[in-house]
Amino acid sequence: MTAEVKEQNLKTDEMIINMGPQHPATHGVLRLILTLDGEFVKHAEPVLGHLHRAQEWQGQNRTWFQYQALIDRVDYLSGMHTSWAMARAAEVLDECEVPERAEYLRVLVSEMNRISSHLLWLGTYLIDLGAMFGFPFYPFREREKLLDLFEEIAGQRMMFNYIRIGGVQRDPKPDWFRRLREFTREFPDRVDEYEAIVTENPIFLKRTKGVGVLPLKLGQDYGVTGPSLRASGTDYDLRRRKPYSIYPKLDFKVHWLDKPEGGDTWDRYILRVREMRESNEIIKQVLDMIPEGGEIMAKKQNAGLRVKAGEGFSAIESPRGILGCYIISNGSDKAVRIKWRNPSFCNLSILPALLVGHPIADVMAIFGSIDVILPDVDR
Amino acid sequence: MTASEDEKIMTEGGLSTSAFSLAVPEELRDTVTLTSVSAFTEFLSTYISPVANWARSRAVWPLTFGTSCCAIEMMHVGMSKYDISRFGSEVFRATPRQADLILTAGTITRKMAPALITLYEQLPEPKYVIAMGACTVTGGMFNDSYSVVQGVDRIIPVDVYLPGCPPRPEGILDALLKLQEKIRAENYASRAAGLYKQRAVRYVDYDTGLPMEDLVEEVKLEMQQDV
Amino acid sequence: MSDDKEKTAPPAEPEGPPPPGPCGQFLKDHGIDSKRLPDAASGHEVIELAVDDLQRSLKLLRSGDETCLDLLVAVSGVDQGDSFESIYTLWSYENDNQLTVKVKIPKSEIKEDELPMVPSLSTFWSAANWHERETYDLVGIKYLGHPYPRRILNPWDWEGHPLRLDYRQPIDALNDKNPKSFR
Repeated sequence: MTAEVKEQNLKTDEMIINMGPQHPATHGVLRLILTLDGEFVKHAEPVLGHLHRAQEWQGQNRTWFQYQALIDRVDYLSGMHTSWAMARAAEVLDECEVPERAEYLRVLVSEMNRISSHLLWLGTYLIDLGAMFGFPFYPFREREKLLDLFEEIAGQRMMFNYIRIGGVQRDPKPDWFRRLREFTREFPDRVDEYEAIVTENPIFLKRTKGVGVLPLKLGQDYGVTGPSLRASGTDYDLRRRKPYSIYPKLDFKVHWLDKPEGGDTWDRYILRVREMRESNEIIKQVLDMIPEGGEIMAKKQNAGLRVKAGEGFSAIESPRGILGCYIISNGSDKAVRIKWRNPSFCNLSILPALLVGHPIADVMAIFGSIDVILPDVDR
Repeated sequence: MTASEDEKIMTEGGLSTSAFSLAVPEELRDTVTLTSVSAFTEFLSTYISPVANWARSRAVWPLTFGTSCCAIEMMHVGMSKYDISRFGSEVFRATPRQADLILTAGTITRKMAPALITLYEQLPEPKYVIAMGACTVTGGMFNDSYSVVQGVDRIIPVDVYLPGCPPRPEGILDALLKLQEKIRAENYASRAAGLYKQRAVRYVDYDTGLPMEDLVEEVKLEMQQDV
Repeated sequence: MSDDKEKTAPPAEPEGPPPPGPCGQFLKDHGIDSKRLPDAASGHEVIELAVDDLQRSLKLLRSGDETCLDLLVAVSGVDQGDSFESIYTLWSYENDNQLTVKVKIPKSEIKEDELPMVPSLSTFWSAANWHERETYDLVGIKYLGHPYPRRILNPWDWEGHPLRLDYRQPIDALNDKNPKSFR
């Protein structure tokens, strides 16, 4: 309660507001039940499950070959990363050696996917803050170019089904690499364009500076990973800590901010912009290093696809955090249990703690900055 | 007013049931005042209809209803490469009270179904539904899933079905154009009178989980027994 | 010579339990016994704990200086046919340690109409909160001491636990098959 209200001895009451499953902040369907004291949030309860499509149940009831095609929908903005997480877990169980060119292609498409995911995040974040359909045309223009490249290599704009257990599915033509190189050449200028509009914008600064501070200890307690925690004083990036694929050979910088007392939403924003630039550099390096010719698939992709018996957990760094897959297999054509460890599920659990004390206008700013994808939360 | 009552009034001597008039009681059926105004507007609507439909079909404003992956393609169709506003859908309204069209982009689960039914009921007439994506057409790849409604036409009536997973933005535009053709083929007065009330194809009552035909049968049996 | 042929093979030595790995040793130093299971496919340690030792050992593992396993990656539940397992995957923010902890509850020990019970970690480790709600929702393991034991993914009044092996989904007109469907 503000000081004036206290002085006048007014009786106040709390109001319970439902930020219902359908709202224009296009992150999917999340229901927030907010208890407000005037304008300030006292308690927030997210109600999940409006998009629970039983994908773990499908893992038990679909064969390995069928399930690979379905998991792109788990995190639809980074379908390559999701396929890679499951492929990596299955390859570790199966002790299958992935060909080298396939590894290079995997890194290439997943860094492209990281850029396109952050671009969409940027566009929709500005829509959440109110820049409706003014700014988002810019990042979507770049996203369209990336989706055209994806369509050539994987056949689909969004649900790629490209990274399979044992390798990748298709080898692109040499022309594709040339066009990707052109994209990487003009992309830094585009990011400069976005930064010119957003980073020093006084409205944006007023809405995001000091809002939603995430202290490091709190984040570690809740198991937050990814850019949301790297803005708060840790450099935990799975590509450096537990390197997989060809990341040990690449020379790239992990962006993080040394603020253990907590990073606010502006810090999370600027970190993702820097990550986009860094992914661009990674793509340039991989394009120079990729070997000419070679195998791209180590396991035969048909209905007879099997994974050896065993259990294992394997994870990769997706644009939102650690995306992991815990597989229990008994050697038959279906898995016994596939459990997904989704970064959005864990990052969203911190939202009730972050929202307390903020006015209701900041709810969308904070929620957008955590970068949550609802099918990732609900599976 | 159920459909059968509507039919009864329509067949009795061509009296109109346009929404511009109140329901006429039995005793006053042969008076001239109210019915002639509505008959005049009926006559006029044959001329107004083409113009009204021409205007209506080219300004269909969708609701921002994006549940899941198809929402991204819906965003792309609103952006500059595949621009939907050149086909009339200038803005996506956030509130159903100001929208004409629900483009159900994304899987509808059992938990979400009541919300969608509420949204559909909150849309003012004339309202349309395009079922976008395989999940809303028939349940899609979540065919045996325990929590997915197998096709949104079980809970709300659908005008245009758009398959794809996700459908390309050009596909969404194609569905929108088909919807516009459908709007132009309507009679505006009949639409206003509520004669185009569509039933959902496999209409299911959400609360009991029973098909609507069974429930309607039950109610009819009860009414017959009362009589 | 016949003596050689009738030489009996030396009696096979019974294999003892495998020696504890670094985390198992750490727990043993603090007085907690753990059973070492075969290593996970990526080569790191898997241990199985008794139900009563769970909270204390995880507190020790989290705060111990050598282990420092403070990233709770996931809490998974599995219905293994003859038992339920609650699996905790632990990583570390500071160093490279990895550990998988399993708690096994045989189905024979569960009474009729009751759920397998495991003490909850969410009183001291907030990451476990939503993971345990999800495991309760999907597999049906009850976590004692959880502050908000409600279903999280399915509707609150849902019946049954979908990832169990004996789950039959309720078929009503919302998800029955279209008679013209090919499936």
